[in-house]
Amino acid sequence: MILDDGLLEQFLLGELDADENLQIEELLVSDAELKAHYSHLEQDFERLGLDNAITPPDFVKAQLLKKITDNIKQTKEVTLESNRNSNWLLGIAASIALLLFAGSAWMYNQLNSFKQKLEIVENEKLELDNKINTLNKQLNNELALLTTITHPDTEQYILKGNTLMPEGKVISYVNHETKSVIVNTERLPELDEAHDYQMWADVEGEMINMGVISKGSNLAVMSYIEHAESLNITIEPLGGSDHPTVERLVTNVYLN
Amino acid sequence: MQNENALIQQLQNKEERALSFLYDKYAGAIYSVILKMTRDEGIAQNLLQDTFMSVWEKANSYDNSKGRFYTWIFRIARNKTLNFLRKNDPLIQTDDFSVYDSKEATISKDADFLELNGAITSLEAHHKQAIELVYFKGLTHKEAHQEMDVPLGTFKSYVRQALKQLRTAYTKSISVVLLIFNVL
Repeated sequence: MILDDGLLEQFLLGELDADENLQIEELLVSDAELKAHYSHLEQDFERLGLDNAITPPDFVKAQLLKKITDNIKQTKEVTLESNRNSNWLLGIAASIALLLFAGSAWMYNQLNSFKQKLEIVENEKLELDNKINTLNKQLNNELALLTTITHPDTEQYILKGNTLMPEGKVISYVNHETKSVIVNTERLPELDEAHDYQMWADVEGEMINMGVISKGSNLAVMSYIEHAESLNITIEPLGGSDHPTVERLVTNVYLN
Repeated sequence: MQNENALIQQLQNKEERALSFLYDKYAGAIYSVILKMTRDEGIAQNLLQDTFMSVWEKANSYDNSKGRFYTWIFRIARNKTLNFLRKNDPLIQTDDFSVYDSKEATISKDADFLELNGAITSLEAHHKQAIELVYFKGLTHKEAHQEMDVPLGTFKSYVRQALKQLRTAYTKSISVVLLIFNVL
């Protein structure tokens, strides 16, 4: 039926519509004899075609291959386009990195500034510590002095100024138990910068140095001398002398 | 055949080398068909290039279980050429084959490319013409039987008989080749 109708030939030549094509295709799958016949037809038509081949000019093939190569290149360019997209993304990433870097730089600056501030604060703290230490030392000194002064065995002697120092007065505290001597110099008149008051102990007619009275504070700790019979204060050149300048004795007191 | 399947596989994998080989094998036959349909070398060359571009681009739609590769290319070429002719020559759309004929007459006189070769030349004139019309001129069976001015059934039997004779001729030539091989 199909063979008589020439449908296979028309199918081969591409004359049939889509529905007819589909029917023939299905028949060819299911009917081996028909398929064999069709295969012969195909071979014969191919042979007919090849027998009548006319070689086309070479440039047709050259153009075809060039066109294909160009197409492939274009495809690659499209790929490159998408690479450009990824370049764009890289740009964003770079921007973010830059921002992060700028942020880091800013934070680094901040850190440095904090470090400087911290250094200042640390220096200030150090200064305060020193002050506290100094104050503590002073306090300890004052406390030690106070302890000595208020000690029950401490004896108090008042050295009144002589004619060279009629207004002046020194209170001395002597403790033979703790072997300490403290003087209150509050009422000593101020000296010029070239002179100091110096204290001496009289031991069997000999004047022994008890030290230069410091100018800074009202209470001064002096050296305790055993067997002292009296306490004497003279005006000496700055820094004190080895031997007292007796002419400039300003006050003295005899110990009990 | 094994070789050709491998080539087609490579073509489907977009290997230019495969296209180049398949072009060398089939372009001549296809060009001949397009040339006989259009009767214009320039147009035929463009359509041939266009056909093989489609072969390259649509290679994956070819299914070798449904038919030979050559048949597939032939159909692409035939469709492209017919589409081109319909777009560019309104006279063909009117089925006015007298115009078509006269045009053919003016060109075919000095157009070598319209001559047929091979086994088909040994066929009787009406068999030869029947094949020529459907295979090389791109006419449908319905158009061709009008062209030959015979009933459709008669035309179909012309085609069938022509193909049977071609088959005999080709089988003989194969036998001759095989005989030569055997003798050698």
